[in-house]
This record gives sequence, C-alpha cells and structure tokens, in this order.
Amino acid sequence: MSDRALYVYALLPDAPGDPAEGVTGLDGRPLRLLRAPGAGLAALVHDGPPEPFEGGDEKVRRWVVEQDRAVVAVWERTGAVLPMTFNVLVAPGEDAGAEERLRTWLGEHAEELAARLRELEGRAELRVELTVDREAATGDDERARALEAEMQTRSPGMRRLLAKKLEGLRKEATERLADGIHADVRRRLAAVVEDIRDRTRTVRDPREAEVLSAALLVPAGEIETVGTVLADVQDSHPAVRVRFLGPWPPYSFTELTELASGPGAAG
Amino acid sequence: MTQPRPPMKPTRDPRVTLDDLVEVLLNKGAVLHLDLIVAVADIPLIGVSLRAAIAGMETMLEYGMLRQWDESTRAWAERSAGRRELELRAGETLVTRMSGGHLLEEGVYTGWRPGGVHLTDQRLVVLRRDPREVLFEAGVRDLRTVQLETETTVGGEQRTRLRVATLDGRTALLSAADPHGLHDALSSLNPALTALPPAPQGAPPGGLEGHLWYQEPRRGGPLWRGGKGRLGPTGLVWKSPLDARPGLVLVPEEILGARVEPGRSPGGDGQLVVVETASHGEVTLAAEEPRRWAAALDATAAPEGTAGTAHPPGTPGAVV
Repeated sequence: MSDRALYVYALLPDAPGDPAEGVTGLDGRPLRLLRAPGAGLAALVHDGPPEPFEGGDEKVRRWVVEQDRAVVAVWERTGAVLPMTFNVLVAPGEDAGAEERLRTWLGEHAEELAARLRELEGRAELRVELTVDREAATGDDERARALEAEMQTRSPGMRRLLAKKLEGLRKEATERLADGIHADVRRRLAAVVEDIRDRTRTVRDPREAEVLSAALLVPAGEIETVGTVLADVQDSHPAVRVRFLGPWPPYSFTELTELASGPGAAG
Repeated sequence: MTQPRPPMKPTRDPRVTLDDLVEVLLNKGAVLHLDLIVAVADIPLIGVSLRAAIAGMETMLEYGMLRQWDESTRAWAERSAGRRELELRAGETLVTRMSGGHLLEEGVYTGWRPGGVHLTDQRLVVLRRDPREVLFEAGVRDLRTVQLETETTVGGEQRTRLRVATLDGRTALLSAADPHGLHDALSSLNPALTALPPAPQGAPPGGLEGHLWYQEPRRGGPLWRGGKGRLGPTGLVWKSPLDARPGLVLVPEEILGARVEPGRSPGGDGQLVVVETASHGEVTLAAEEPRRWAAALDATAAPEGTAGTAHPPGTPGAVV
C-alpha cells in the first residue's frame, strides 16, 4: 500500500458528516475525505497509483466533466470548497506515505486555507460572455448603408475599394458599440458581485466581437440579480449574444493571497 | 413597452460548458495549484491537443519532477518544451527573445497574432508556439528600415510597435514586449539599416489624454482604479490596463457638466473631478490636473436642451 498516491479534487472545511458519501470521481472511482482534524481541513480524494491521467481529447473531456461533477456535488453539500486543477496527485515520499504528506501539508497551510474557505463560503462562480454580432451591430449605421448603396452602381475595382472601406467602418462601429456595452454592463455587475475578473474566451466566432468575458464571484442570493442585468442587456441591445454559465464552485477565485483585488489596490 | 424578460438563468449543461470547464480545470492558475502538492500536476497529457497549458513544464523538468515517470513521457515533455523555441541554424546565435506578435494584413483582414519574437544575429522571426507556425521571418541583412510607431488603442492605451520594411518591399508591423530594445538591437546588428524617426502620433485634436483614476462603484463600496482616460469628440473613455475594454464610456450627450470638488483621491491634491451624467448620476474621477479635465469635460457637455435626446449607453453617439 505504501506506493499508493492520492488524487486530490478539492479542499474543504473539516466538519461532522460525510459530504463525499456516494460521490464518484474520475472513471467512477469512489471518493472519500481525508481529514486533517488538527488543521480543521479535509481533502476530497481518491486512492490510486502515483500516475497522472493521460489520454486522448475525448477521454480528457470526460474526466474533466467527472471531476467537475464530483467537486460540484461536494460543494453543494458543504457550501465551500477550494477546487484543485486536473491531475493533482500527492505521491508517497521517501520518508512518509501520501496521506501523511498531505496531512502535514494541510497543517502547515491551515491558516490561509481556512481563511480563504471562509471568504468563499456561500459564494458561486458565474461566467459571463457577451459578444456582439458584427453585422447586426452596424445594421443601422447610416454611413454603412450609404456605402452599400453606392457599391451597387460602381465598377468592380471601385467596389473592392468601397468594400474595404465598409469593412473598416463596420469594425469601428462594432468596437464603439462593444466599448459602450462593456462599460455599462461592467458598472452594473460590479455593483452586485464581490469580484469580477476578465478572462480569455474559450469559444470564438469571427463574426462576433468580444464585449466582456468575465468570471464573477457572487453570493448565492445574487445569482438572479446577475440574470436580471443580463436579460436587460439583451433587451436593450439585440445585437448582443449572451453566454451565462454556472453556478460553479469558485474555480477562478482560489488564489490565497489577495493581490490586485483589495480595496484601493486595483488597477 | 413590452414586458421586461425574466432573469436569465446560468447553465451548467456540460454540452454548453465543456470547453470552459476544460480550460478552467487544465489551465494552471485558474484553480488551486500549490507547490508541494503538484507532484505531477501539469503532466503532459500525451496526444491531447486541447491541453490548455504546458506552462510550468519547464520548471518541472528543471526540478526533476518528471524523473519518476517513464522515459518516453519525459522525452515527450522535453521535446515539447524544446519545440517552443526557435531552432537555430549552425553558427547562428540568439540575440534576444521576447513575447510579441505580428499583424496579419491580408486583404481586408487584419489581426494580431501573438508569438515569440526571436532576434538572432541572422534572422528576425516571430514564432507561434501552438500550433507551431512562423508568423514572420526576415533576414537581418534583408531589412531596409525599422521604425517605432505608437498607436492609441480604442481603449486609449498607447502601444509602441515596430514597423519593419525589407529590401524586397515587404513591410510588417510587429509587437514586442520591449520594442525599443528590439529596435536598438536590430539597428546595431545591421548598420546599413535605416532607423526612421518614430512616427508622429498626437493626442486627439482638442482632446485630453492621460492617466486618470475612476471611482468604480462596487458592491463593497466604491473602488479607485487607475487607468487611461481619453477625452475627444466622441466623449470620454476610461480603461484599466487589467480590463479588456473600457470600464467607462460617456458619449458627449451623456455628459451634463463637470466640476472640481475637494475630496480624498489618489491623485490631484485632494481634488476630485465630478462629472454629472444623464443616466448614471455623478461619476467621480481623479487626475493629476483635475481643473484641466473638469474644464475639458465641461466644454464637452451638450448644450442645454439636447440632453433629452441622449443616446442610451452603449449606442454610438452621433458623430458630425
């Protein structure tokens, strides 16, 4: 048994009861809690060989879904988790087994881990992605319409030139629209959420311009307020497309040191 | 008026969120990722084209963290890490390497493509890592001119780019972490190269541009954030370097007036710039020269009587 490793899904506060009961992880492995009572913490783990999970795209996608499902299940039971990234294993060391190494590590970092868990209690992560459809964004631009009309009557060479001009005009109008919507939405979301972070988009479409792609840390009770803001945005800007994901465990808000997000320190 | 639609509901349907989950769970930095524990985190997922980041792999190789894995895994990892860099020709020496990109200008399509800018004693190469592609390459001896160009992005940020022209008439616009350093290195490598003076670039006509603090209303109370402000004929735009787009956009129709008020601020010697707006109430700013900003903003304000036709935020203001 000494060569067994622990695959770690998440850290959580140690409390009575077993939130891991019946929860399965990667490839249906049963999960358990490794408690570090002295630290007031527990780790959600499965036991396995000290080898990373490797495989093709489809396999990894399936594992990611399984890992997410396990963390979500425990998060919904406990209200606070610090999720780990994929393939975090604690291997046995030369002088101690994996369990002992993990317990020691939890003990050493108990204070900051517990503090972060308290801050994240009852908070969910939401993902918001807003884009504008380039064509719809400039549908009512008078200059664009005038150019389009002019193109009908011109020679092919001139048409190419005008097409280039139209492209530039569309881009400019889209960018300006996107900036305006971003400022408006960001202001309204910032008043509701506890933290907001720009993220890179995962799904891209060349016909769309990116407006806002952010991870939001939101008290559970405010999820509907965010939904109301987004519905309103959609109502007032038909060219906007909204992706609204979550609620998730606070995947993007796990870092342990408050850097730029403290009051007065941002920007 | 139609009924406002009900609040949108977030979705957790894996069919919709899968790409995002893959990104968040495989990407280092998004999820808790701690030193001791990551005995094998970030291990290369062999054959996985969607591995979001192999960042950190070099560190692992460096610290021998992959030692316990089989030879083929290790060899693959080393190859992958090695593949990120430019392969040098015999006798070629790397002078400098920095992150940057190349502006693809093909017909009506233009777009920045990020990549590593490599300067050797023989070549200037912009190399994208994944998927690997040479975005731009030119021999140092084949370059005719280099010129620094400063452009102001929509958000009002100033970025210095490097424009290069080759003897055979190609031109390219490159971005680089240190455009000045790259410019100097190129000039010293090829004395025949003509270093053109920086392209002129002025503030918007009749406008104002500079560092500006914006007091962003937040759930936990207002938050001073630093950024770049730009006031021009289309209004005021403020953008933080941390955000992808401006956090404040006020079209001229939105601005009713501006004044200087005493108050605690990160800049401007205890003076605040308070802008009265048509639909957001008062917006509070701080600047090194509060009076100048207040006067310019006040001058931008729409004359009495036109405020009623203010565009809702987000629609472009009419440009005459």
